[in-house]
Amino acid sequence: MTFEEFFHDYWWLMFPVFGMIIALIGMFQAEGRNRKVMDLIKAYVDQGKEPPPELLKLAGENSDYDMSFQSPKPRHSSAWSFVVFLALAAGFSVGYWFVRTEDYAFAFAIVAVTMGVMALGALLLLLLGRK
Amino acid sequence: MTEELFRDFWWLMFPVFGMVMALIGLLQDGASRDHIIENARHELERK
Repeated sequence: MTFEEFFHDYWWLMFPVFGMIIALIGMFQAEGRNRKVMDLIKAYVDQGKEPPPELLKLAGENSDYDMSFQSPKPRHSSAWSFVVFLALAAGFSVGYWFVRTEDYAFAFAIVAVTMGVMALGALLLLLLGRK
Repeated sequence: MTEELFRDFWWLMFPVFGMVMALIGLLQDGASRDHIIENARHELERK
């Protein structure tokens, strides 16, 4: 199997692999940084000093790339997730429609359905989530 | 074959560009947070 054949068959894998790599990097970076911030705040408090406001702000907010599941997200993030996933579902559905006769059309269908389910989940979280 | 591959997958340049931008954003976000932490550490050691 040449590189061209391999790429032709598995090009779509680059998206989930990239997503997994970004999620892993984001999770590990966020965990290490949160620990450093908390240690610093503790050191300030132990010395009876006021921690700098930007450090407190850093402790209070989540990075856009923080993929850890325990971190609470603001309520409007579900609305934004719904919009993003809906747009992705619509985009991949249109893509599927254009290439529906090709062998690789299934990849578009899979992504469109996945994004649709994610959009539905985000909508449910938005409607039924904790106020 | 390379030309054929490009003809089939030229549109991939858009999502790949998005992925590169996401990666740059991740690195820049991390650098700015590290900068704040380092500043706070220096401030603590200086006081």
